[in-house]
Amino acid sequence: MPYPSFFTAPRAVAARRWPQVMAQPWALVLALATLLALLISGAAQANTPLPWLLDRATVVAVQAGVAPDWSQAREVVLPHDWDASWPGPSGMAVYRLHFNAPPAAGTELLALSVERACNTLWVSLNGLPVHEGGQIEEPVSRQCQQRHLVVIPGALIRPGANQLDITVRGFAPDEVGSSLRAGGLSALVLGPHALLAPAHERRMALSERLPQVLSGTLVLLGGFMFVLGWFHRKQSYLAYFGVLMIGWAVLLSQLWMTDWPWSNRRTELLMLAVLGVVTMAGVQFLMRYAGRRFDWLDVGLPMQCGLILLSLVMAGPSRLQPVALLWYALLTLEFMGAAIFYLLQVRPRQRSQLWLMAPLLAVMGLALITEALARHLALDGRVGLMAQIVPALLLVVLGLRLVQQYGRALQSAEQGRAELEVRIREATAQIERNFAQLADLKVEQVTERERKRIAADLHDDLGAKLLTIVHTSDNERISTLAREALEEMRLSVRGLTGKPVRLADALGDWRAEVVSRLAQSGVEAEWQSPSEDDVPGTLSARAFVQTTRIMREAVSNVIKHSGATRCSIRCILAEGDFQLVIQDNGNGIPAALDGRLDKGHGMASMKGRAKQLQGQCLVESGPGYGTVIRLTLPLDRHVTTR
Amino acid sequence: MNNILLLEDLHEIRAWLKSLVLQVFPTARITECSRVQDALAHVSSGEKFDLGLIDLGLPDGSGTDVVAALRDAQPDAQSVVVTIHDDDEHLFPALQAGAYGYILKEQSRELITEQLTRISAGEPPLSPSIARKVIKYFASQTLPVASNMPEVSLTERESEVLLRVAKGFTLPEIGVQLGLSRHTIADYVKQIYRKLNVSSRAEAALEAQRLGLFRR
Repeated sequence: MPYPSFFTAPRAVAARRWPQVMAQPWALVLALATLLALLISGAAQANTPLPWLLDRATVVAVQAGVAPDWSQAREVVLPHDWDASWPGPSGMAVYRLHFNAPPAAGTELLALSVERACNTLWVSLNGLPVHEGGQIEEPVSRQCQQRHLVVIPGALIRPGANQLDITVRGFAPDEVGSSLRAGGLSALVLGPHALLAPAHERRMALSERLPQVLSGTLVLLGGFMFVLGWFHRKQSYLAYFGVLMIGWAVLLSQLWMTDWPWSNRRTELLMLAVLGVVTMAGVQFLMRYAGRRFDWLDVGLPMQCGLILLSLVMAGPSRLQPVALLWYALLTLEFMGAAIFYLLQVRPRQRSQLWLMAPLLAVMGLALITEALARHLALDGRVGLMAQIVPALLLVVLGLRLVQQYGRALQSAEQGRAELEVRIREATAQIERNFAQLADLKVEQVTERERKRIAADLHDDLGAKLLTIVHTSDNERISTLAREALEEMRLSVRGLTGKPVRLADALGDWRAEVVSRLAQSGVEAEWQSPSEDDVPGTLSARAFVQTTRIMREAVSNVIKHSGATRCSIRCILAEGDFQLVIQDNGNGIPAALDGRLDKGHGMASMKGRAKQLQGQCLVESGPGYGTVIRLTLPLDRHVTTR
Repeated sequence: MNNILLLEDLHEIRAWLKSLVLQVFPTARITECSRVQDALAHVSSGEKFDLGLIDLGLPDGSGTDVVAALRDAQPDAQSVVVTIHDDDEHLFPALQAGAYGYILKEQSRELITEQLTRISAGEPPLSPSIARKVIKYFASQTLPVASNMPEVSLTERESEVLLRVAKGFTLPEIGVQLGLSRHTIADYVKQIYRKLNVSSRAEAALEAQRLGLFRR
């Protein structure tokens, strides 16, 4: 609970200017009561206990380096504010106060508390200098918003009446941008150092150290955000906010930075120019943050900054304040207008932004109005102080919030990018798969077309020539060979172009061929095969063609060589094998041919073909027993079950 | 069989076929062509033909077109495909176009004369693979029958014959199995070929209608 205690002693002093009653939680109620009593009595009395309020003084305007002429002096009641005519431009005044030696002067360290001495003060006691607040020649120190605590060495206090000379260096109200910085001296409090020092410390913490910390924070955070916004043009509002923060830090620096390397007037101009920049940044920030952008603002606001400077320079040193106040009012209005515009823009769309921004802007606006009033009406210094510190605090809060939003947006963007990457990878994989399928299909199509072309060529060229041989040769053997060659070619073409053949269809084809051939040759045929329901699966074109050849060869053998009258053909599907048994009742293979079975019988080629299909072809024969040919093919290789 | 159209591009084979035809039909007048265009010109000029022996693979096109043209011009004329191709992929379109049978060129003179005699007597051949294709064709005939199109479907008996042929039974065997004469079976086969042709034409017409070639 440090706040109320900050003001305890000074408030008592300033009670006449700021007559508000506040709860005083500290033990300094006693001091207050004393001060009230002092106020009622109107003068410091030797027999009242410390602290004493010293508010009666004689004052005289002086020139630098010239001794004061006390004949010109007049009596004033402190606090005393300078006006436009007295003590004149860039004036200096000496206040002389008297007090009797306090009773405890010898035993206790005394101090003089000065609430406000603008711009700075030198103090001397009984003609001996005891305190130099700051520079009294240009560049004059700017200590208007600082409190002074002057230690009064007990040795310098004379018994009886003592004389306090306070030299104040200041400026006429019109020479400065704000009444807060117009020359003047507040009432003084003389008291024990032990009593006044803590209050002074607390006040210094508020008016100097807090602004220092805030300025540093604002500059750091503002710089960071400016860089962020600069490099991410979509978030240009961040850059403007950064400028706003840095600008505010500069304004705030007036509270703690007392010595500038140039004249007071130049500092005043600089501050007002910074105020223009801050307004520009604030308005632009609000517009951009609401997602709006106006070209005329982009041009108008910087021009306004220039205009501010120009008008102030044109107005001259003696009319600074009226012009500054005018600008101040205008800038405040601009900012308020922008804030209202922003709230109206955002309200229907982004309620999530509103909960923070609406109260923030309200407080900010209140602070600005307060400061405007404080500048104009010269309200108590602490009001102006708060009006500058509160917006700074709010700026820090809002800045952190913006950074958080930015971080969150960055995070979701990262996440979005990661998701996009995954999707792209998936799509790429899909495309590759499709492409591979397409390529396969294409290869298949091309192969198919090529096969058809080869087949057509074979039929047209080779087929036609063989056919001519078949029908023009006088030699029966040659025409038979040519006919066989033609059949072979046809089968080859079928193997080349053929699709898988259903086993049931293959059995039908074989039966028709075998039975009609045997019938034509006068051999009684007996065909056995599983009924269609029991024959699943398909034969590859190659297996079909090879089996057809084997069967054809076997039947040819029966017709040509066996002399059989009967021939039975059995097709058996068993234990994963396809078995074909061709049995005749002919002569069998002569013993003389045994061992070289293939002489004219094509046995070797039959066996070779069976082998090609991973099967086997067995020939059992004996003279007088007929011949049995067993062809066995493994089904799993050549019959694909669908 | 007095007027016979013989379309064959190979000179030797044509001569051989001609001698073969003359052996079967000694009095026939044979018009020889070696190109599709020539044959089409003969057909469209209004010449009467009783029989057409038509090769499929010709230098300037497919004999199937001639089969169709002859069918259109003279429905009574019989077209027989004489070819080196035995696969149904080549034969089936010709049969659909109206051919009544086919002869494989490389067969022996005796076999071909016999087949020719049979075909001209109304006993066209039918192989298992062709039979299967016909079965499949009619099974897939789910065309909506247009009002002006005759509905073509196989009778039960015709289907029965087709199924048996597909299983590899010869026509005489089927005759025995069904207790029918050889001629009756031959009639069924002829019927099947005719229906295949009619249905194919209806299908073609429907297809044309669907494509908007006939605007009503």
